[in-house]
Amino acid sequence: MEPELPGPPAPSEGAAGVAIIYAGDYVNKLNGQRIERECRLRLEGGCRALVINFRGTELVNSIGVSLLLGVIDMAESREARVVFTNLSRHTVKLFELLGLTRLVAMAESDEAALATLEEFTPLLPGH
Amino acid sequence: MPPRAGKTRRVLARTAPEHFVGRGEQLREIAALAPHRNEARGLVLLAAPLSGASELLRQSFDELFRTRGGASPVYFAVSRTDPATTSAARRFLLTFLTHTLAHRRDDPALVSASPTLRALLELAPPADYEWVERLVQSFEAAVGEGDERSLVRLCLGAPQVAAARGARTVVLVDDVHLADALKGETHFGAELAQAAAHAGTPFVLAGLRRRALDVLSGPAVSPGLEGFGVEHVGGLGEQDSRSLASGLAERSGVALSEETRDLVAHQLEGSPYLIHAMLEAARASGASLRSFRDFQKLYVDELLGGRLHRRFGSIIEEAVPALAPRRNLLRVLHETATSVGGKVPVEAWQRRVDAAPAEFARMMRLLHAHELATLHATYVEATPGQAWRDYLRVSYRLHVAVEPRALVVADTLVETLKRAPRALARQYRRAAAFGLHKLLRRFDFQRVPASLLHYDRFARSYRGASPEEVSAGMEAETELLRLPQAIHVASCASFHPPSRQFCDEERCAVLHGFDSESYADTNEVVWLAAEVESKLEAGRALVEVWLERLSQVADACGFERVRLWLVSPEGFTDEACELLNERGAYGSSRHAMELLASRLGAEAAPAPPTAPANEFAMEIPMGDETEIIAAHTVEQIARRMEFRPEAITQIKHALIEACINASEHSLSPDRKIYQRFRLEDDKLVITVSSRGVTLPAGAPENGVPHAEQNNGHENGEGSRPKRRGWGLKLIRSLMDDVEFERVDDGTRLRMTKYLHK
Repeated sequence: MEPELPGPPAPSEGAAGVAIIYAGDYVNKLNGQRIERECRLRLEGGCRALVINFRGTELVNSIGVSLLLGVIDMAESREARVVFTNLSRHTVKLFELLGLTRLVAMAESDEAALATLEEFTPLLPGH
Repeated sequence: MPPRAGKTRRVLARTAPEHFVGRGEQLREIAALAPHRNEARGLVLLAAPLSGASELLRQSFDELFRTRGGASPVYFAVSRTDPATTSAARRFLLTFLTHTLAHRRDDPALVSASPTLRALLELAPPADYEWVERLVQSFEAAVGEGDERSLVRLCLGAPQVAAARGARTVVLVDDVHLADALKGETHFGAELAQAAAHAGTPFVLAGLRRRALDVLSGPAVSPGLEGFGVEHVGGLGEQDSRSLASGLAERSGVALSEETRDLVAHQLEGSPYLIHAMLEAARASGASLRSFRDFQKLYVDELLGGRLHRRFGSIIEEAVPALAPRRNLLRVLHETATSVGGKVPVEAWQRRVDAAPAEFARMMRLLHAHELATLHATYVEATPGQAWRDYLRVSYRLHVAVEPRALVVADTLVETLKRAPRALARQYRRAAAFGLHKLLRRFDFQRVPASLLHYDRFARSYRGASPEEVSAGMEAETELLRLPQAIHVASCASFHPPSRQFCDEERCAVLHGFDSESYADTNEVVWLAAEVESKLEAGRALVEVWLERLSQVADACGFERVRLWLVSPEGFTDEACELLNERGAYGSSRHAMELLASRLGAEAAPAPPTAPANEFAMEIPMGDETEIIAAHTVEQIARRMEFRPEAITQIKHALIEACINASEHSLSPDRKIYQRFRLEDDKLVITVSSRGVTLPAGAPENGVPHAEQNNGHENGEGSRPKRRGWGLKLIRSLMDDVEFERVDDGTRLRMTKYLHK
C-alpha cells in the first residue's frame, strides 16, 4: 500500500479496520488538528488501528507533538493502536526526546506497520 | 469654505497642527460649527483634568482662523486673575473685538496685541465699523451707569450684535469652571450660558467636567443650553499617547525606546499635559528615556520638585493656603487613599482638616473639580489617578511623616520600577482579551448555531475542519440557540469587587437581560461570562474552579436566573464539556467566539512598525504559521554558511520553537517577533525577541496550578509525557548555546549554532 506522495494530510483506506493518515510536510497546530480530526472520525467509524505516515514531514513542532499525544490518548481510550511510519531521523530524535516513542510503535513503512499490526489480529475486525 | 492652501500658520496653538494628535474628531466637530448652514447652537466640552482641552480650543481657533471668509474664531479663557465679573466681562468684549477684527482683517499679529477699544474702532474695516462703534459707545455708557449686570450682559452680548450685522463668529470659551471664583453680584457662568443660548452664533463652552455645568447653571437647575451638543474630552487612547510621546521625543531630541514610550503612555494615563511635562523635563535635563529606569528616575524627580510637583502642589495650595491645615489635608487625603475601600465620611474629613464650614466647602469643591478626591453626599472617596497618588504618597512621607528625603526617593524609585512591568502586563492582558463585554452588548435575541456555545459539539463538527467546511456546517446547523437581549453589561468586579482577585475586569462580564421579548420577571436572566486562560483545552478541574467562582458571584449578588458561560482559547476537554453540560453552562473556544462575533457584527484589532539592520533581520507577525517563513529564511542563511543538512533542520526547528514560545508566552502589544541572524566565521547567532510581559514558567494561571491545567498529563520517568511546555528544552537540545533573557518589556532568546561541532 504505497501512499501517494506527501501533501496535505489525507486519510487513506487501509486494510480492514486500519486507517492510514498522512501527516503532511509540517505538523503544526493546523495540521495537527487535521490529523486529530481524521483520526477521530476514523476511530468513530470503527477503525481499530491508526497508521500515521510522516513521509515528507520535515518538521513537527511542539504544538504538533502535543496534538499527536492527544491522538495517542484518544486511540488508547478506544483500545485502538497507533503506529508512526516513515519518520525522518530528526523526527525520531524529537519523539525520543519528548517520550513519544514509549507510547507508539514505529515502523519503516506502511507495509511494515501493517505487518506489525497483523501480529495483533484479534484486535482487528475482519481478520 | 476652502482652507488656505499651503499655510498652517500658528496663531494661538502651542503645537503645530500636524503634531496635534488624538483630537481630530473633536476638532472637526468644532470646525463644523462655523458654516451658516450649520444650525447647531454650540457645544459644551466637559474636560477631564490635564486632558489638554485648552490646546484643543486653541487648535480649533487656528483652524478657523486659517479659513478665510468664514466665521471668525474668538478664544476667551476665564481667568482667576480677573478680580471680578465686570473685569472678566470687559476682557471678554476686548478679546471678542480683537479676535474678530484680526480674522476679518487677516491680521494674526493683532491676536496677540493688546489694543484699547478705541484703537480697535480705528482698525475696524468699513463693513464692521458701525457695529463696532455701537458696541464701544454702549460699553462706555454702561461703565458710566455703574450697573454691573447691564455691563456684563452688554459685553457677553457682543457676539449677538455682531451676528445681527452679518459678522458670524465661533466663540470658544475656556476654563468656564473658574467663573464661580469671580467676585460680583452676577453669576458670570450663568450669564455666559444665557449669552451663548441667545447669541445666534455658535459658542463652545469648555471646562472641567465635574464643575462646568454647575458653573454655567448658576443658581438655576440647568444652564438652559438647549440645542447644544455635549462632548467629553478624556485622556488620549494608548495609540495616540504613544504617538504624542514619540513625536515630542523626536522633536526635542530625547532618546525614547519603544518600551519606555509605552510605559510613558500608560503611567501618565494618556494625559497630554503630563506627557508634555515629562518629555519637556527630559529635554531640559538632557535625560534619555531608553529604559524604564531612566523614565522612573525622571518621574520621581518630577514628583519631588518638577512640573508634576508644581501642578498638584498648586491645587493643594489653592485649596488650603495656610500651612498647618494643608498638612492636615495631605494627611487625610493620604489616609483616604490608603484606607480599605478608599472612602471616609465627610464629617471625619471636616474634623481632620479643621477648616470652617465655608472654607471646607470651597476646598472640597476644588479637590472634586480637579478630581483629586470625589465628594459624595456623605463620604469622600480617593481618586485613582496614578501620578496624583504617587505625588500624594511622596508629599505625605516628606511633609507629614517627615521621613528622610533619600529614603522617600529610593523607595519611590524602587516601587515605580517594580510596578512598571506589572502595569504593562495588565494593559497587554486587557488588549489581548476577547472582548466579552463588547460581544455581550450585541446580544439581541439573535439565533445562532448551538455549537458556538457548546464546545463538545463544536469540537466534534469543526475542530480541524477547513474554514469552508466550518462555514457550510454552520449554515446547515438546525439546532439554533436564542441569545438573550442585553440590557446592561458590566464587569464582574463592578458587581462583586472581590472578583478582581481572580479575574481582570475585561475578562469577566455580567449581562443583565431578558430571554424573551416580554419584559417580565420570568424572562429576566443574568449571564456571567469569563475567559479562562489555558494553553490546552481547559480541563475539568479548571472548569470546576471557574464555575464555582461565577456561582459565588451570582450568589453574592443575589442573581436568580443565571447562565454561566466560559470561554477558553483552545476549548475544553471531553470531561470538562461533561461538567459544563451537567451544570447547564456554556463553553466556547476562541475560534467559536470569533465566529459568534462575526455573526453578531463585532470587529477585530490593528497593527504597528518595522526595523532596519546591518546583519540579517526580520520581523514576523505572531500566529498564522508565520514561523515557517522565518524557518525558510534561516534555512537559506544556514545553507550559505554550509551547515550540514541535519544541522539546518535543527536550526529551523529551534527557530520555530522560539517563535512559538514568543507568541505563547508574551502578552505582546504589537504581536510581532523580531529576529536577527548574525553570521560569524564559525557560528550562526540567532536572536529572537518579542515585546510584552513574560508569563513566568510554572506560574499558576488564574489561580490554577499548571499541573491541573495539563489535564492529568505528568512529566517524569516512566510516566506519560506532559503535553506542552517543551519549548526551551527542545531549543537547548537543538542548538549549541542558548541564553534566555528578560528585558524591560519582553524577552530575548539568543541561540548559537557552531559550524563545526
